[in-house]
Order: sequence, then structure tokens, then C-alpha cells
Amino acid sequence: MILACGEETAEIRIEGESAVVGQRRVQFGVSRTGERLEAIRIGPNAFPVRVAREGDRILVWCAGQVLEFRRAGGRPARRSDSAGGLSAPMPGRVRKVLAAPGDRVARGDAVLILEAMKMEHAIRAPRDGTVTKIFPREGDLVEAGAVLADIQ
Amino acid sequence: MIKRLLIANRGEIAVRVARTALEMGIEPVGVYAESDDGAFHVGRIGHAVSLGPGSPRETYLSIPRILEAAREAGADAVHPGYGFLSESAAFASAVAGAGLLWIGPPASAIEQVGDKLAARRRARRAGVPVIPGSDGSETSDEELLRKAKEIGFPLLVKPSAGGGGKGMTLVEEAARLPAALEEARRVAEAAFGDSGVYLERLIARPRHVEFQIFGDAQGNVVHLYERECSVQRRHQKIVEETPSCALDAKLRAAMGRAAAEVARGAGYTGAGTVEFLLDERKNFYFLEMNTRLQVEHPITEETLGLDLVRAQLEIAAGETLPSDWRAGKLTPQGHAIELRLYAEDPRTYLPRSGRVLAWESPCGPGVRVDSGVEEGSAVGLDYDPLLAKLVVSASSRESALARARRAVREWVVLGVETNLTLLDAVLSSEDFSSGRYATDLVSRLREPAPRPTPDAAWIAAALAFSQEKPGAAAVSRAEPWDAGTGWRVGT
Repeated sequence: MILACGEETAEIRIEGESAVVGQRRVQFGVSRTGERLEAIRIGPNAFPVRVAREGDRILVWCAGQVLEFRRAGGRPARRSDSAGGLSAPMPGRVRKVLAAPGDRVARGDAVLILEAMKMEHAIRAPRDGTVTKIFPREGDLVEAGAVLADIQ
Repeated sequence: MIKRLLIANRGEIAVRVARTALEMGIEPVGVYAESDDGAFHVGRIGHAVSLGPGSPRETYLSIPRILEAAREAGADAVHPGYGFLSESAAFASAVAGAGLLWIGPPASAIEQVGDKLAARRRARRAGVPVIPGSDGSETSDEELLRKAKEIGFPLLVKPSAGGGGKGMTLVEEAARLPAALEEARRVAEAAFGDSGVYLERLIARPRHVEFQIFGDAQGNVVHLYERECSVQRRHQKIVEETPSCALDAKLRAAMGRAAAEVARGAGYTGAGTVEFLLDERKNFYFLEMNTRLQVEHPITEETLGLDLVRAQLEIAAGETLPSDWRAGKLTPQGHAIELRLYAEDPRTYLPRSGRVLAWESPCGPGVRVDSGVEEGSAVGLDYDPLLAKLVVSASSRESALARARRAVREWVVLGVETNLTLLDAVLSSEDFSSGRYATDLVSRLREPAPRPTPDAAWIAAALAFSQEKPGAAAVSRAEPWDAGTGWRVGT
């Protein structure tokens, strides 16, 4: 199978206690408690690991690092903020809408105030332009990554 | 003595207070918002009363609902923890008015020292240095602008009520002041129900050092040494240590004396914290006083061998401060460091939510974890993103630091993004190791070099993917990004 982790991609083949990771052949052993994976042993070294599934991804904790794996094969999802959109950096509630369609904004101007965890975060225009659309209304709950406004 | 203690809080602090109550033979009772029914503290405390449905304002911040819960539980005392209603004079007097014992200073003392501006005036009268700024008598934009020009830029706009850096805004130039005032007033009104703000000169590269104090009903006020709290992001502490590397015996004594002076004469009882800024030339300035237990109180407990919650409960019940405290005979032993685990993006510091899919906290010698979550816990956006605190102690700073690094790398958290990598970066930084750092430490950290993914992790992931149920695998193959169309829908 082909897996991606951050910027890295590798083809992994596992046959019994032998794995091919990219170009490397690795002999390994597995320590489990019941169903739970506890460690991967490679040679004299044991690497503690924990694994959890979240949606289509596998999360791996390995010796102090948290890594996120997905099956590779496609390109990464489009990012809305590269195309004139302004997106929510985190889930939260829209506390205040400070601009209206037609308003000219300068880079750094606050367009909305998003509230999360009792903190207010100003969502600022990434560049000079004209607001063409504001998507949420005051009081709306928005998900992380939701497009909040279009600036042309 | 107290029989049944209502803990008007949630998360790690509710559990921490309950532990001491149990050790003292006091029955702890928790509270929970309906939406928070399955929260960790509810199960841990063992007995909890519902605050009904609604937002935090209608539940953990509702004085009538908390008092109702106390009645329902048959409690005879209320511990507020930190945050929520812990610094509310109105709550303190409502609790006392309902015939319950309030674990904290009386409402009159909270008013005198908890209000930042009143506290600044008290400090000035007591001869304790304060940072140049406005005193709250200026309220209009015009008056504040005039005052701002007198103080000089850059300066900070701060809410008169509250704390934790909320609503605090840095203003570099006069033109930016009106917008900053509007934002600060709105945040202050929303967070603390009080839109009052004041101005304060910005001290460049300060250290943030606070002193634990305790008062009793007999009028004694003592300090229990300092906590260095300069490691901050977004004006909020993430790593604290004691003793502070910045203080020598003489400065420590002067600051400790000043801390006690701020509270003395205000009828202050129980635990409190006096915060100072220390400038690059080691001048100290009174910043504010927190009239409650601090998040970082455990490092004081570890170096002094005390239980500060026990002391709070004993003082509230009318006991006098122990004689060795009053005689100044307490001496800290060794070194302690606290690391706060937050559910947040380690680079942007923005809060994260999710479900804790795997959780194993560090243990071993000198390690204490005060946690508010466990495996399976839901982390929402309604509450503070603090998940747990790791407190390490050792005989020297060097060994405490090594212990902290070891413990952070043991911590397994999957499912919710945390600041663990940031904590590790702080502990590994030259600034922190040397002890010569200020509140800009986090902003000076270098982005760590990306490490190649270890083979063990690739193998673990591949084993997990290959254990997918055949049905699930089929669904996953049918998804568009596996079909090689090059784009992905619905995200």
C-alpha cells in the first residue's frame, strides 16, 4: 500500500515479520497487549507505538512523536484561502461581522471576529481588495476551514 | 469543620480539589452542565449535581444555579477552583449569604485587591512600585488618547476586570488606539461583564514572576515564595518553574515582602497570588493580584511539601496560619517545573477540539500529572483548552529539566492536537536551559528541523490500515482520491 505522512510518501509491503518501506527491507517484531499494539521491535531496539483511527486516517504515536498517515494516491485537497477566500482557522462562533459586501478592505483589516474557547480572534484580510461576499451571520457556528468571506 | 464541599468547577482543578477533600474526610460534590455530563471530573469526583442545560454563562457561571446545586447536594462549603466565578465578589457574598462557607477571601477583600485599578492604588500607597499607566478615571477615547501620549507608545490596553491576558491589546501608535479600545471593551464586557479598560506602559522583554501569598482571619499575611511564569504564548503561561533563576536572596525577600504588603490590611484570607513584572535591570513592578488558587500552584506544593488546597480549607474554617509559616521558617527544597498541556495547534496556538482516542500520561519518579481528561473524553470549544498539567520535581534545576524532557516524550495523546511539541521545544531551547529568558521566549524558538518518519511508525500505520475490515477497505477504495482523479470532494 502507498501511505503518506506529511510531505513524505512511501510504499509499504508487509509479509509476516518482514517489511519493505520504500527502498528499505526491515525485519521487525510486534509487541501487543490483547489487540493493542505496544511496540515495534527492529533489531535490538523497541519503539513504543500507539495507534488510533480517525476517519480515513491512522494516527500513530511513536516514541514521543505524533504522526498522521493516510492512503496516498491523490493530490492534497484545495485550500480555500489561496483563491480569494477567507477561512476559519478553527471551529467557533462568529461574534461580529465587521465588513459588508462592497466594502474595500486593506491587508490586515479585521473582517470578522470569531470566538472560540472564550477567546476572540480577529479574522483579517490577507490582502487589499473588495469584499464580495460574507458567508456566515453573527452568531453562526462555523467549522475549521469554512469559507467566511470572499475578497477580490 | 466542613462535611460536604461543593466544587463549582470542572476539569483538572475540580478533580484536584476533590482529592484533597477526600484525604481530609470531606465529601466532595461536583457540578456539571448538561452538555458536559460525561466529563472526566463527573466520574472522578463520584458525586455530582447537574447545573441543567445551557451555555457556560447559564451553568458554571450562574450564581443561582450553583447555589441551587449546593442546596440540592446538602453542601456546607463551596470551593470555586480557578476561572469561572472564582474571583467574583458577588459570588463570594452570595455563597456566604446562603449560609455556606466560602473557600476564598471575603467579598470585601476581593473588591479591594482583585480589581486591578484598586489594587494598583493599594500597591502605590504601600510603597510597592507599579507600571506607569492610567488609573481608570479616564474613560472616553479622547481622555485615554491624551493619557496614552503622556505614557508613551508602545502601550497595553487592559481590561480592569479579569485576567489571563484576555482582552489585552498591544498598541504601537496613537492611530491604532481607538480600534484597540473598542476591541478591548467588547472582549472585557463579554468575558467579565465589565467593559472598563486602562492603559499601561509596555515593559520591554520583562520576566513575569509571581508570589504565592496566604492570609488568615487573624490578620496574618505571609508569602510562600515565587513562581517564574515567563514562558507564555498569547499572554498565557505554558511553563512555570520555581525557584526563579532571576532572583537572588535579596530581591526574593524584597518582592515577597511587597507581595504580602499588597494584601495586608484588606482583610485578605486564604490563597492569593501577587504578580510582578521584572525588567531587564531587575526592577520589579506590581502587575495584579489573583484572589484564588492559581493553575500553577502545584510547583509551590512540590518544593515546599505542602497541600495548598488543604491550607485553603483550614483557613476558611477559621484556623490560624501555621506558626512556621508565620515565622518565615518555610524553605523550598529542590526545583519544580509545570508544563501545561493544551488542546491547540502548536504553531498558531489556536484551540483544537476532538475526542481523545489514546491517552497515557507520564509517570515515574518526581512526576505528577493533574489531568482533566482520559481516553474517550470529548474536548469541546466551550471551555478552557487546558487538558492536564505535568509537574516534575527534582533536587536541582538541571535534573528537573532532564526529568521534564523525559516525561514529555512519554506522553501519549492521540485524537486531539496538543502543544506537546511546543513544550518539548521550550525544554530543549538554549534560552530555557540557561535560565536567562523573558516573556518573549516562545517567539524566539526556532522551527524544529523536520525529522524523517521512523520505520517503526510506517510499519505500525501499515499494520493498522491492513487490519481494516474488508467492507471498510472497499468503501475507502471507492473514494475519489484513490481513483486518481486528482481532486477531492467535500473538503
